[in-house]
Amino acid sequence: MIIWVLYDIKNDGARNFVSKACLKSGLYRVQYSCFLGTMNANEKDTLELQIEKVINEDTDKVYIFRMNKEQLKECSMLGQAFDDKLVTDEIKSLFF
Amino acid sequence: MQIFINTYGTYLHVKDEMFEIKIREDKTKPVKINHIAAHKITSFVISKGAALSTDAIALALKHNIDIVIVENNGHPMGRFWHSKLGSTSKIRKKQLEASLNQEGLKWVKNWLSQKLENQADFLQDLKKHRKKLHQELNNAIENILEYRQKIQQKKAENVNDIAESFRGWEGSAGRQYFDALSKCMPNDFTFKGRSFRPAQDEFNAMLNYGYGILYSRTERALMLAGLDPYIGFMHRDDYNSKSLVFDYIESYRIHAERFIFRLFTGKKINKSYFDTFKAGISLNEDGKAFLLDLF
Repeated sequence: MIIWVLYDIKNDGARNFVSKACLKSGLYRVQYSCFLGTMNANEKDTLELQIEKVINEDTDKVYIFRMNKEQLKECSMLGQAFDDKLVTDEIKSLFF
Repeated sequence: MQIFINTYGTYLHVKDEMFEIKIREDKTKPVKINHIAAHKITSFVISKGAALSTDAIALALKHNIDIVIVENNGHPMGRFWHSKLGSTSKIRKKQLEASLNQEGLKWVKNWLSQKLENQADFLQDLKKHRKKLHQELNNAIENILEYRQKIQQKKAENVNDIAESFRGWEGSAGRQYFDALSKCMPNDFTFKGRSFRPAQDEFNAMLNYGYGILYSRTERALMLAGLDPYIGFMHRDDYNSKSLVFDYIESYRIHAERFIFRLFTGKKINKSYFDTFKAGISLNEDGKAFLLDLF
């Protein structure tokens, strides 16, 4: 499934932790506080637990959305949009 | 996802438990940094001028990611592996035994028959849209299947006794097969038989690289199965020769052949994918990227 993570986190430490946790779990950074990528149910649960531990429930907001490929295809992307093949794991090889 | 590193001066290391790939394409431009989560990667294929940190190797081993160092033509030179061979040594003892008895002969016969059968099937498919070449293709198919029959009917104590004639038949079948393939190619890209080190034409250059990738995948599959890639059944036990990989790959070569042939007949091949030099032709960076992206 395709997962979106969006957040507003006040504390610098917690915010850094969450951004790294997102990257480590295989999501791609599409905007400063917005991540997107493909993960399975286990990976999603793990990420949720990690984030839950560090945020402040009174001040911070974190949204985790779930989407399927069809829905992603229907999205409008304007300007410098992300690489939709990369976030859906369709790219099988990368060259450097 | 497979990561291919071909740019000179690329540095692969670890940051925050993720792989970080740093490239500086040009001294005037800032270094490009890419982060990739470890579990998204299945293998690194590194060709030249890259630096690799031990942490990166350790992280790759931990996640069962294959790190292969390849020559320019895609053939694997070496890979990082755990300090243990997979599976139990019982498997490798049995493998040694099989390489010397009837069991090994049975496997070799199967592999080679399968290979020739694949070749014949492919030519059979090609007949569909090539009315003019029916006669020639039929001849080639008939001959290849004849060699197949010879191989299957040959009896011997062990593989060594008949390896020479097997190699001969396999080679003759191969010549028939590639001749037939060449006749089906677009006029710009016909070729004269197989050539390597260096390739003499575009088709061979691409095929050599495709086989190279196939070697690497075959070797990995054999090692994961706990087999010793150096103990082959038919190919000679030359010094440092991965005989089992050569034996085992035979029936899978068709995948590279069919795929690359389609690229040529589908007019997907651009002359700019190749570099020509005195002795032959080689696939360049653009060509490699093009091939690997689809393969």
